[in-house]
Amino acid sequence: MGRYLLRRLGFALLLVLVVSSASLLLTRLAPGDITSEQALVLDPASLAKLRTELGLDRPLAVQYASWLAGVVRLDFGRSLLYSRPVSTLIGERALNTAMLASVALVLATVIGLPLGVYSGSRSRGVGRASVRVLSVLALSVPPLIGSLGLVFLAARTGWLPVGGMTSAAGIDQTWAQWLVDLARHLPIPALALALPLAATLERLQSQAIEKATREPFVAASRARGLGHAQALIRHAWPVSLRSVLGLYGIMIGSLFSGSFVVEVITSWPGLGRLMYDALKARDLYLVAGCAASGAFFLAAGTWLADVLLAFADPRVRSQEAR
Amino acid sequence: MTRRAALFVLALTALSLAAPLLAPYDAGLAFRDFLHAPPMRPHLQGFAAPVVHPIVLADRLEQRFEADQTRTIPLPWFGGTSDRPVFLLGADNFGRDVLSRLLYGARTSVGLALFATVGAVLIGAPAGAWAGLRGGWVDDAVMRVADFVLILPVIYVVLVLRAVLPLVLPASTVFLLVAWIFVAVGWPFVAKGVRAIVAAERDREYVLAARSLGAGPARILVHHLIPACSGHLVVQATLLLPGFILAEATLSFVGLGFPDPVASWGTMLAEAGNYNAVARFPWTLAPAVAIFAIVLATNLIASPDDRTS
Amino acid sequence: MNRQPRALLSVLLLGLIAFTGWRWWSGQQPPADSGTEIVFSDVTTRGGVLTSSLRSEPRSFNRWVERNFPTEFTSQLTQSTLIRINRATQEIEPALAESWIASPDNRTFTLTLREAAWSDGAPFTSADVLFTFQAIYDPKVNSILAGSLKVNGQPLTVTAPDARTVVIGYPGVFGPGIALLDNLTLAPKHKLEAALAAGTFSQAWGVASPVNEMVSLGPFVLSRYEPGQRLVFDRNPRYWKKDSAGVALPYLDQIVAEVVPDQNAELVRLQAGQIDMLQQQVRPEDIATLRPLVDQGKLQLLELGVGTDPDVFFFNLRQPYWAKDPRGGWITRREFRQAISHAVDRESFANTVYLGAGVPIWGPITPGNQKWFSPNVPRYAFSLERAKALLAGLGLANRDADEWLEDDKGTEARFTVLTYRGNSSLERSAAVLRDDLRPLGIAVDVVALEQGALVERMLKGDFESIFFVYSASALDPGMSPDLWLSSGSAHIWNIGQATPATEWEKQIDDLMRQMMSSVDQAERKRLFDQVQNIFAENLPALYFVAPRMYIGVSSRVGSLTPAILRPQLLWAADRITVRSPGTGQGGR
Repeated sequence: MGRYLLRRLGFALLLVLVVSSASLLLTRLAPGDITSEQALVLDPASLAKLRTELGLDRPLAVQYASWLAGVVRLDFGRSLLYSRPVSTLIGERALNTAMLASVALVLATVIGLPLGVYSGSRSRGVGRASVRVLSVLALSVPPLIGSLGLVFLAARTGWLPVGGMTSAAGIDQTWAQWLVDLARHLPIPALALALPLAATLERLQSQAIEKATREPFVAASRARGLGHAQALIRHAWPVSLRSVLGLYGIMIGSLFSGSFVVEVITSWPGLGRLMYDALKARDLYLVAGCAASGAFFLAAGTWLADVLLAFADPRVRSQEAR
Repeated sequence: MTRRAALFVLALTALSLAAPLLAPYDAGLAFRDFLHAPPMRPHLQGFAAPVVHPIVLADRLEQRFEADQTRTIPLPWFGGTSDRPVFLLGADNFGRDVLSRLLYGARTSVGLALFATVGAVLIGAPAGAWAGLRGGWVDDAVMRVADFVLILPVIYVVLVLRAVLPLVLPASTVFLLVAWIFVAVGWPFVAKGVRAIVAAERDREYVLAARSLGAGPARILVHHLIPACSGHLVVQATLLLPGFILAEATLSFVGLGFPDPVASWGTMLAEAGNYNAVARFPWTLAPAVAIFAIVLATNLIASPDDRTS
Repeated sequence: MNRQPRALLSVLLLGLIAFTGWRWWSGQQPPADSGTEIVFSDVTTRGGVLTSSLRSEPRSFNRWVERNFPTEFTSQLTQSTLIRINRATQEIEPALAESWIASPDNRTFTLTLREAAWSDGAPFTSADVLFTFQAIYDPKVNSILAGSLKVNGQPLTVTAPDARTVVIGYPGVFGPGIALLDNLTLAPKHKLEAALAAGTFSQAWGVASPVNEMVSLGPFVLSRYEPGQRLVFDRNPRYWKKDSAGVALPYLDQIVAEVVPDQNAELVRLQAGQIDMLQQQVRPEDIATLRPLVDQGKLQLLELGVGTDPDVFFFNLRQPYWAKDPRGGWITRREFRQAISHAVDRESFANTVYLGAGVPIWGPITPGNQKWFSPNVPRYAFSLERAKALLAGLGLANRDADEWLEDDKGTEARFTVLTYRGNSSLERSAAVLRDDLRPLGIAVDVVALEQGALVERMLKGDFESIFFVYSASALDPGMSPDLWLSSGSAHIWNIGQATPATEWEKQIDDLMRQMMSSVDQAERKRLFDQVQNIFAENLPALYFVAPRMYIGVSSRVGSLTPAILRPQLLWAADRITVRSPGTGQGGR
């Protein structure tokens, strides 16, 4: 199993390298750069000087080599848009994205799993059917549509603040105030991300429970006199959890892709929003840095999925299935 | 479910082709005195054709309108033209009919998704079949590439790709470009499944029998393996289609898809991204509802419940 | 098989729930804000915190090398000049020079400096003025202010007979006279001398420098910069200005500029009362959103009048660009542009683009610039017939089955307009232009580009036509030779010509040079009116509508003197007051 995971790790690292290099090279090839914005107010000589300072006039190969050398030291260069190191910016923003993603993940779990256990353990009933209908509805609300809908709802009713992570609050804010403020801004983007995931979890959990309840030992435990609920929680659920676990790694990946559009719509200051702004301003190093970290998180997610799967599925462990 | 999926795809194709017949106005026709005009409610008058009350501008700066209750005008489909426009789904920020744009937008958005889906299947299926049939290094190479594409942060890659291409492009070129980008990220989904099926079927008795009877690989592929995969292909296509519709919407939403005058669901949604405006003009969310409906339909068709029961 | 009815039942149940929810929700009144009532009395003149938004962050605090709005904004609050042009009245006012005398030939100004100190206590003297000029003219510094502090391309000469006196010599007579010194942002010699000597002046005062390095001569000092979050300005206790009652300015204790990159988010925060003002005008389409707050007395919506920087549409008039193009024969002709001007219904344009909040214009100087506006420039009435006649004169006619015109060689009358993406008024303007030229048979392709990409194309001359907006820094056209002179770097339709490409550009050059070197205001106006006439006849750039400008500001903010140029309110930050001082949140 160790070799398998190692190989997958190598694969993940390759992915990060290829994606970030490609985005650096591609962005470089695109017309216009960060100095274009200044061009109107600078004469050609000072423009050339500015480009030299920023290293934009060097040949592509040289620029790439020095960028790569920096990346090894986790130095992604300087953002020309914000005049700050790219790594600092990404660090801050990645934290926000991570916060959003983890809240969404928890939300999806809290909603999805219990409903899944419930609907899976019932063979019929209005409750089960309602869960099914809700789940198929939620599954049909991709983050783009979900965030637009929720933002509309919030803007219309004024129940929750729209846009950003915190309100432009006073500077002498206590931690508690900040937390409350954050908690009011989180629901919309988190829910937009969590809805389809919760539905996916519900379905998987439901199927898994259904299968598990048919296992002989669960039936046996019921025969021993355990109540329905007890048998479910103590025996069926742990068995079913195994197949659900494998999904989490994949979900991290989809959370990451989904968070791009949610962040753009709700102005959440995360990685996706940063990449969007960087692309618009053609901030070369920032685009490459964002793509690199994006690929990194995705690769990490995929790898985690592999690890979880390896633990959950004995077949992967034993025969190193690809 | 295969039949239902095929029907669904057919219906979408029909919808995307029917825009010029159904749409009351041209997608680009702007009524300048009706910016953000609200939807009008059709009234039935006995058995006569439904009518609406025309609206008049009450305050231009605040974009308020009032219905003129004293007059009625017939709906555009039931004959009778009027100098007053009829907006069943309201008007957008240029005074263009949202309903017409939604229909013409279906042609762009759904058309693009259909095109990309067909492309992904046409490339993914042979690639997967080849890998499954040949095995060995071919299998390894194709599947590695597919795996790689599958775990790419697609949205970021598409954004970067689209951003480096020249921005001054006619709509038809954008259509093809975006479609090809979608094909490039979509084929592995098809290929992986096909490979698995082909690899499994390869050694089944009937294939072995065909081979022993002297059938070449091409014949086996066409006569035995492709039919075995058809179910999977239809399911995959049904899943890819809404994915591509959504991808187009996302791309155009952030301004890297179609340019504005082109009606597509993404360009229409771009306006709904302004949350101050959307609270006042909810009808600009119409394409979101359309996308939701399509995704819902796909989910109902491809629902695992139906497969188990 | 008994699954179906149950599923149906649950769908019905859910539908019912959703429906009742909807009924209940739609029955609700629009969000009635139950916040506390605003009390209109008890206006405190001193103290309080004002919170503004800022769309982007500064890339540097070095006003002498960085030209971005956030830098300029910081400079407005923390720095000072010798004299200043009152943004509201356009009059020259004393600032750190308390008085001055002009020589009879209007070429030498002797200024007497005020007794003042930098925020760290160091005295402000004539040495600082000399140092500032030295830094700005230093080629190594490459200051963005250098160009605006030259007359006919020549630097000014500066001497300081004593610590309180500065003598400034102009290389020639300059019409705006001492108003030129409004561009001179003073630099502290005691803080920046070493950097200038070491050749690192242009890197000094970067965003990472400690804030106490950046000593202030203005009403506020930068006390905190939290990247990505906010800039905090505290009152400068050593600020020299006092009000008429002798109270030391500024009135405010603190100004907080919150960084809100998103325009929509910014508006939401203004609505919620989390910020007191924006740093740009309210878009016409947002006025309806703010109206309820105005009605509730929480917000004041100030109409500043007609804007002075209207959106402009122009063709590429560099002949080499069109040399190989089959359209070259007619697309750069004056008649083609005149036909377009005739074909645009400016009333309808204003209605669509600015929701009626705009006035038709026929030249770059709008009625908002009262001093220089000329109502008598040639106008192009809306007339498709006139437009068609002009096009026919160019040999453009519909020669085939489609709806577009062709020239005698069969080339279609079609061109591309570039515009800024994300600027709603420009995007709408370009679309309206496209729609208006369609009945003429001229096809227009609109391409929205990011600002940077568009400007790069403009500078390279790689465009057919552009619809964009260009902000002038001053209302006096004599202060923007870069736009008017054919050799100028902002002569957008044909930048930086060695010699004037056309007869009329030469005429404008001559008239502008006379106008700039004249000190007689009536004469200057007369000369500039001629320039405007020539401009309107030849239409190197087309102007259609100038929007009315609105500013939204919280009702708790008082003593405002709005100006038409940015920053519309904070240019006079030292006199602004707020109610309920103490909290940054404005007690709503």
